[in-house]
Amino acid sequence: MLCIGCRTCMIGCVVAHEGKHIFEVDPDGYDFHPKLKVIKTFNVSVPVQCKHCEAPACMAACKSDAIHIVNGTVIIRTEKCIGCKSCAEACPFGAIQMVTLGSARNADGAPRSVANKCDLCQDQPKGPACLRVCPTAALRLVKEEDLGQTLKNKRLATLGLALGAEAQKQAAIGA
Amino acid sequence: MTIKRIQSTCAYCGAGCQIMFTVDTEKNKILEAEPAPGRTNDGTLCLKGHYGWDYLNDPQILSKRLTKPMIRKGGKGSPLEEVEWDEAVRYTAGRLAEIKAKHGPNSIMCTGSARGSGNEANYVMQKFARVTIGTNNVDHCARI
Amino acid sequence: MSMGVHEIEDAALLFVFGYNGADSHPIVARRIVRAKQKGAKIICCDPRRIETARIADMHLQLKGGTNLLLVNALANVIIEEGLCDDDFIEKHSTGFEEFKEVIKKYTPEGVAERTEISAGEIRKAARMYAQSGRSMILYGMGVCQFGQAVDVVKGLANLAIMTGNFGRPAVGIGPVRGQNNVQGACDMGALPNVYPGYQSVTVPAIREKFEKAWGVKLSDQPGITLTNVPHHVLHEPDPKKRIHAYYIMGEDPAQSDPDLAEVRESLEKCDFVILQDIYMNKTGQYADVILPATGWCEHDAVYSCCDRGFQKARKLIEPTGDVKRDWEIIGLISKAMGRPMEYTNTVQIWNEVIDLCPGFMGATDEKLEKNACIQWPCRSKEEHDMGTVFLHKDGKFAHPDGKAKFAPSEWRPPQELENEEYPLSFSTVREVGHYSVRTMSGNCRTLRNLEDEPGWIQMNPEDCGELGLRHGELVKVRSKRGYCITRCLPTERVKKGATYMTYQWWIGACNELTIGNLDPISKTPEYKYCACRVEKIEDQAWAEKHVREEYEEIRANMGIQTKGGRAA
Repeated sequence: MLCIGCRTCMIGCVVAHEGKHIFEVDPDGYDFHPKLKVIKTFNVSVPVQCKHCEAPACMAACKSDAIHIVNGTVIIRTEKCIGCKSCAEACPFGAIQMVTLGSARNADGAPRSVANKCDLCQDQPKGPACLRVCPTAALRLVKEEDLGQTLKNKRLATLGLALGAEAQKQAAIGA
Repeated sequence: MTIKRIQSTCAYCGAGCQIMFTVDTEKNKILEAEPAPGRTNDGTLCLKGHYGWDYLNDPQILSKRLTKPMIRKGGKGSPLEEVEWDEAVRYTAGRLAEIKAKHGPNSIMCTGSARGSGNEANYVMQKFARVTIGTNNVDHCARI
Repeated sequence: MSMGVHEIEDAALLFVFGYNGADSHPIVARRIVRAKQKGAKIICCDPRRIETARIADMHLQLKGGTNLLLVNALANVIIEEGLCDDDFIEKHSTGFEEFKEVIKKYTPEGVAERTEISAGEIRKAARMYAQSGRSMILYGMGVCQFGQAVDVVKGLANLAIMTGNFGRPAVGIGPVRGQNNVQGACDMGALPNVYPGYQSVTVPAIREKFEKAWGVKLSDQPGITLTNVPHHVLHEPDPKKRIHAYYIMGEDPAQSDPDLAEVRESLEKCDFVILQDIYMNKTGQYADVILPATGWCEHDAVYSCCDRGFQKARKLIEPTGDVKRDWEIIGLISKAMGRPMEYTNTVQIWNEVIDLCPGFMGATDEKLEKNACIQWPCRSKEEHDMGTVFLHKDGKFAHPDGKAKFAPSEWRPPQELENEEYPLSFSTVREVGHYSVRTMSGNCRTLRNLEDEPGWIQMNPEDCGELGLRHGELVKVRSKRGYCITRCLPTERVKKGATYMTYQWWIGACNELTIGNLDPISKTPEYKYCACRVEKIEDQAWAEKHVREEYEEIRANMGIQTKGGRAA
């Protein structure tokens, strides 16, 4: 409900991954490949990004051992990616996109295409950039304990227990 | 590197968000824009507030930054030629005075600007139209 | 706006009319989202399924061009069902009886077909608005950019008056103004009928005050509006009323104004065109002289935000190039014309402004320097006066009798309706990542990456299907006045028969299509309604090449050394 479709998150993502030097280089001299994408349907506006699954279909489908789980985050090692698109096909959420790198070339000189997806800004000391820049706080990082609480709230709300109006509303918004 | 943090108001829409800029004064460059706790924005910014200052770097994308006065010396359709401020001011004032003398003050239209120029510039522009030219022909793009 | 933006989230009901905050002011839209979180009801009136409609309790997806029918019908229900705040009407307004007479015939049943909203929905919305206890109206260009605009604004004000939704916290009506300093340009008297502080040029006592302050006799005749310039250059029969010189500061009429073909002709035929700006733009192609100015972040200034708030914009970096501040340039020209206007800094100018404007008097530089946002009126320089959050406190209005005046109007349709040759309706809208004529945002790397030429035309998927159009394909959009090329964006958020384009694009320049029909009072063009048709381009390879080449040509004309072949 909170997303207003403004896509500040998509630019925040690129700036975090490419680095601040992009404001100094040739306008065509960097890659603009957001690792999340805002989609809009009749009733929904929402950023779609990797859910960092426990048993990632992408990892299972990867032919070149380029996808790993590091501290609970599913990571693509771009240098190992062979651009076969199997992971993009396997992802049930459409969270992986094939992108062409401006900086790297294949053996035949053609631009190199690799799989691109959210890495939860693993190298950013302040955490995921999309969360930080979103003006409506529509994005949040759900940790295991948060999930437990959310589930509990929902169960209670469904049971119609006397939680107080505020908690019930929270549960409804979360849904 | 001399780093300064300066608060300012966004120039991109009517919301009036407060931005905290980090500026490298030695390199004369803006490094970052972060949300400040303004009355309206309350510590948030949109994409234009976060990244809309890049135009100051003149990255040569859509159009070129104007850096020198220019005059079409050969009249309409001729190329613009760079001139010094003295000449540009003298030429502009001369043509305006000539048109005012020939067709009257109401033959001249002036605009303010609803964008980056600011209130002081708008005040001076309307004063110029009303006092120096002698007309109330002054307006701006509020209607568009 | 009669209220402060921060009050939006405290309303019990938000009535959002022709205002798409998510795209035009995301940070204002955030307050609408917060209002919802805090339990407010939301009614959204918009022909598109905009973000606000998504979270609204009711979405009145009206047919474009029927605003006043809907507004009058809402008033009709409020009167007929006895939902008026009779006490407020009695004490704080005039003209209610005459108003009732006009409104009588605008029954929900009578307008349902034209507005495409059922009578039941209109009744429900009227009841919700009248009974929430704290209803706030927000409106935008979907109200103002019609040939009938002022009447609708008055119509919305009527709703607020008749239900007593004025003069308290978190109520009122708010035109959320588009550009960062459009409020400021108005505040400073960059308008043909008022001096700074909305003081009329036709009132002798006021004129005398300014004559005394400025030491010169002033004209008592209101000037012409910007949107009337093409007429006054090209078609004005009275030679004494013709425009021969056009001094343009920080604007690009050759991109932003309606019916661009006519604007270009007027710029070509105007004897002397001055462009004072920061970037080369389309108008610059016709300028006889170009005066380079400093931009945002390169000079100090006070801006007025949409809710009447004065705030400081500060100089952060030294400008590069041989450029000067806008007021400095004007001062030099004035001096060369024999009338020195020698200011040395902005504080000096600001002090002159506030001393001439009673409503701004208390907004001293000292207060603003402390990062305050002072909402006018602020009448006292004393420290305690930090301005006025909401207007019309205790039901006091600006009319001489202190009362609000009901102003009924009859609906009239837009000037150019869909027809056999041009079967679709066309409206301009905003691009969230770009601003105005795009000379600033279009020259920002990442904003350019997110959206670039030639933009999109939003169309209903059914219309796309009938024309055999797919997502992303280049199409020709044509009206009686001109055409442009853009990409097709099928979306269910748009009603069948309607199309929308954002007005930032230079190749997809939708103002080639728009109509110069002006509201008789505000002189605002009817950007939100004309007739168009969309044509399929069979040879897409040609079209893509054409767009690329046109982009390169525009860039070359704008003084950029192009590498050639950059993908558009």
